Amino acid sequence: MTTSWHISDELRDRYLAGTLAAPLATSVDAHLGGCAECRAAVPYESAWLEASWGRIETELIRPRPGWGERLLRLGGVPGHLARLLSATPTMSRAWMAAVVAALAFGVLAARHQAELLPAFLILAPVLPLTGIALAYGPRADPAHELLAATPLAGPRLLLTRATAVLAVATPLALVASPLLPAPPGLSAAWLLPSLAAASACLALSHRLPVPVSALAVGALWLAVVGAGHLTGGWLTAFGPAAQVAYGLIALSLSFRLYRMSIR
Amino acid sequence: MITVTNLTKRYGGRYALAGLDLAVGTGVTGLLGPNGAGKTTLLRCLATTLAPDGGSVDAFGLDPADPVQRTALRRRLGYLPQDPGFYPHFTAFDLVDYVAILKELTDREQRHAEVRRVLAEVDLTGQAGTKVRKLSGGMRQRLALAQALLGEPDLLILDEPTVGLDPAQRMLFRTLISRMGESRAVVLSTHQTEDVAALCERVIVMREGRAVFDGTPGQLAEVAAGRVWLSDTAPPASRVFWRTADGRYRTLGERPPAAHGTAPGVEDGYLTLLGEAA
Repeated sequence: MTTSWHISDELRDRYLAGTLAAPLATSVDAHLGGCAECRAAVPYESAWLEASWGRIETELIRPRPGWGERLLRLGGVPGHLARLLSATPTMSRAWMAAVVAALAFGVLAARHQAELLPAFLILAPVLPLTGIALAYGPRADPAHELLAATPLAGPRLLLTRATAVLAVATPLALVASPLLPAPPGLSAAWLLPSLAAASACLALSHRLPVPVSALAVGALWLAVVGAGHLTGGWLTAFGPAAQVAYGLIALSLSFRLYRMSIR
Repeated sequence: MITVTNLTKRYGGRYALAGLDLAVGTGVTGLLGPNGAGKTTLLRCLATTLAPDGGSVDAFGLDPADPVQRTALRRRLGYLPQDPGFYPHFTAFDLVDYVAILKELTDREQRHAEVRRVLAEVDLTGQAGTKVRKLSGGMRQRLALAQALLGEPDLLILDEPTVGLDPAQRMLFRTLISRMGESRAVVLSTHQTEDVAALCERVIVMREGRAVFDGTPGQLAEVAAGRVWLSDTAPPASRVFWRTADGRYRTLGERPPAAHGTAPGVEDGYLTLLGEAA
């Protein structure tokens, strides 16, 4: 049987590459079944057929990626990296709910009582630290031993997972910041300390277990805030000079981490 | 190919590895030993998941103590840990796919083809879309083995791989491992002496962090030569013995009254070596 319409070269190429949307691919399949001319133009090799069946099989057995993974792919993140980021243990709904709850508590407290504003600023850098502490290591990751012998294990995987944690915690804190009863500059004063603390934790984890690094950096952060309070008040640790220092720390440590991750 | 020199690892005051020297080449090498002998510690050091306190490991000319060489070594090894944890909400396919990404298989088509291949190798194609939490213990063990096979590694490290497998699955495993051992180094630890006898061209018996025997399974069996006995009556109660399927009593050690000698097996040699029969 032949028909007057035939599939175009471009359509055929996309069909062969497996990049056609499922409904269109099904239509091409149906057409090929009835059109000898088009069927003759489709290469029929056992390797090609096997690969095609393999792709179909994979599509059938693979569940649909989660919303986080789909969102990352839509944002242009390569598929394998999106998979790595979305599978971070602390990227669970429970952890994100905890971050939202902590931020909401900080905002509500500051709005209720203006003197509690520093509580939000102090808390915001601690949240990513908690996320990073729970993102990597034998205690946090049930499959740690299985993954620890792979080439990406170690600083590269930790950095990937920390990026996932920061990518969630930082925007959530940014959304919460305008709700604070403070001028924009002050309400975002947690951002650089947060990045500095996260990068310090990652750098320290080269020598210490991740949870210990996070605890050490968290304690240091509280000590810095406490020292600032003793010398000039709760907001001293968020002043311009301190912000420059946090920025420099974050930049230099991020550069060091980048060097470590590409080794 | 892989050389271990004066390797030590201490947990508190106890040595898990006490100056171990070892060389492993192509083929299947089995590690036997009682619990706490240091088998898992040795395999973890070889798999680069545990840093030794002293000594050195050289695998394919790479030193795992160096971060760059460690990563290079990880590209060439497959590892099945003794207690492989899983993400229970992942499907079997997704778990292996995830490990494949960590093994730097970034091309989606190639990676998925490789995932399908290793799942087929361990006969899990039918369960590829099943969540890990719904798999049986034996299926999970095969899944853990599947991820170790990704990329056809030059060095395959398997810590008690036959735990939880039924006889048919063990046969499948033996076929798979013996094929792998034809062209690459496979090091496995086990408590199953029959696995060693069936699979390994070389066996190393460990005790208290040291290798107390290194040879072929046949040589290990020979350790018990002249010390395995069969008798029609039960030996004195002070002896270790068991009743065999044909109703006779099998004893290891000194000859009991009215007993006659029989050919020793790998298990007899192992027990004799460790002095646990007498």
